[in-house]
Amino acid sequence: MIFLKKSSTWLMKTGKSAKMKKIIIYSEISNGKFDNVTYELASKAYSLKQKALELKEIDYVFDVTIVAIGPSLQAESVASAYCSGVDNIVLLKNEDIKPFELSKYADIFLKYYLENPSDIILFPATPFGRMLAPRITTLLDTGLVADCTDLDFILNKNNEIKLAPTRPTFGEELMATIVSKSTPECATIRPGTFEADFSKNVSGTYIEHKINSEKISNIMLLRSYKEEKSDKPDFSRANIILAAGMGLASKDNSYFEKLKNLAKRLNVGYAVTRKVVDSKIESSDYQIGQTGSSANPDLYIAFGISGAIQHISGMKNSKTVIAINTNKNAPIFKYSDYKIVADAKEVLDDVLKYI
Amino acid sequence: MEIVVCIKQVPDVDDIKWTKENNLDRSQMLSKLNLYDEYALDWGVKFKNQFKDAHLTVISMGPKQAQDTLDYALAKGATRAILLTDKLFSGSDTIVTAKILSRAIKKYVPDFDLILCGQMAQDGDTAQVPVSIAQLLNIDDIENVVEIMNADKNQVLVSQKIDDTINIFEVSTPILLAIKAEAKESYIPRINDYIRAQGTLIEKYDAKDLDFNKVEVGVLGSPTMVYKAFRNEINKDTVEIEYDFSEKIIDLINENRKKR
Repeated sequence: MIFLKKSSTWLMKTGKSAKMKKIIIYSEISNGKFDNVTYELASKAYSLKQKALELKEIDYVFDVTIVAIGPSLQAESVASAYCSGVDNIVLLKNEDIKPFELSKYADIFLKYYLENPSDIILFPATPFGRMLAPRITTLLDTGLVADCTDLDFILNKNNEIKLAPTRPTFGEELMATIVSKSTPECATIRPGTFEADFSKNVSGTYIEHKINSEKISNIMLLRSYKEEKSDKPDFSRANIILAAGMGLASKDNSYFEKLKNLAKRLNVGYAVTRKVVDSKIESSDYQIGQTGSSANPDLYIAFGISGAIQHISGMKNSKTVIAINTNKNAPIFKYSDYKIVADAKEVLDDVLKYI
Repeated sequence: MEIVVCIKQVPDVDDIKWTKENNLDRSQMLSKLNLYDEYALDWGVKFKNQFKDAHLTVISMGPKQAQDTLDYALAKGATRAILLTDKLFSGSDTIVTAKILSRAIKKYVPDFDLILCGQMAQDGDTAQVPVSIAQLLNIDDIENVVEIMNADKNQVLVSQKIDDTINIFEVSTPILLAIKAEAKESYIPRINDYIRAQGTLIEKYDAKDLDFNKVEVGVLGSPTMVYKAFRNEINKDTVEIEYDFSEKIIDLINENRKKR
């Protein structure tokens, strides 16, 4: 294995040499290209690096390296990565690794890492990243903060930089900033959290290592296919969603059907809460919430939905929310632009008179 | 066939109570079996029932109250229940939880063929514990499993769903599967099942039984710690509409229909 020689200039604010903080961004490659989240993380790492430079009380220099495993990397992707602010790019070249051989990925990464350790490793919180990262951090016997939606650093008592990622927990109701006592400090970051900024002009190094893994995988892929388009509603395309909660329940539960038919007639989305699914009134295909789908329509009308957190987490990014509930203190009202304290069944009957 | 299902008792996410300081008031909240763990348990019971000599061990780490969850699992069809409980375990993060669970599996169910976990816990959402358990036991894992088509002592046929892609894998045991979707058959235990379950003693083990010292587990042993916790402020100017104004809804529907 070739050793990485650092070539970039060390910026110094005092006469002493600055402390180096090495960051690895683990990147997925598909068809020789980085995913956009790579650039998002690179841009964020760059801005943290700038923030550290501006702080008087510390003298730190960040060194940011993208590490990827795969057969090849396209030149444009490499160029874009430098533009988003990374110092180094390392490709751990492996021609025949398959995407589901996670223990092999972890093994290859570990072989590289043991000779090129870092202070921080950031992973994308993609499905792949979330499957790989815990394998790597477990091998390194270090902590891992999952699915973060913010990234910063704090200074500890000794004026040392500590990574401080923030993540939503408890159905996104509670936010927690979590620090690590062990090194490397690691986190998976949700794609789309940061903006990719290609305005940097960092000239960096590019290195390829050929690394093989002797690990034997017990997994054989028999078939892989895209799921057939079913009748399952696609909430991402609906600009209006009419959503039903248990406030629409009645003896014959006809109000759910009424709302569904109205949605069909208007060609808009129809959704329900988990309680409606649990009560066997509607199939889980229509469920919005933590364990169902998410939606961010222009208009979300909640008929008789109280606003359990797991439901809120699936619809809170809607632009305009109208909620109808008999309980004037229903939690859904906190997330609503318009609040109607009334029986959702009566309101629905009224709406049907007009439309 | 030896099946292990790891389960967790979680606070009911539909019934969150907060303290004045915006912390979760766990003492005021109901606890229940984590939804995805219930899926894992149902799949486990299904395949246990297909083989005469199959066993299904449920393992949970948690306070004494987690016994309720284990009783429920026994009533559903588990044949053995293990509770890992110790004050020292409290505050364990994902890697430490995985260390405790994997050491217990190694020690008490060493001949396991299949380990089933829920894809994630509803309270934590990390999805990290199953992967860490697999790594610590040095076995492969399949995450995001939506269906187990077949399973026996040697081989498992599973379907994994990632975004809208379905992957069908054939894997040889031992293997860990993290389950994301409910089993087609879910058995709701009846009184008689609970009575039968009472005949099975829940085995309890603590840190000492698992050869952990106090700096290895719990808050002390966990590499990550919460630096601060806060709730997002909601700043919506909610307008209350008097009830006879359902025209407002109609106006908004019509306005938004034109947009796309």
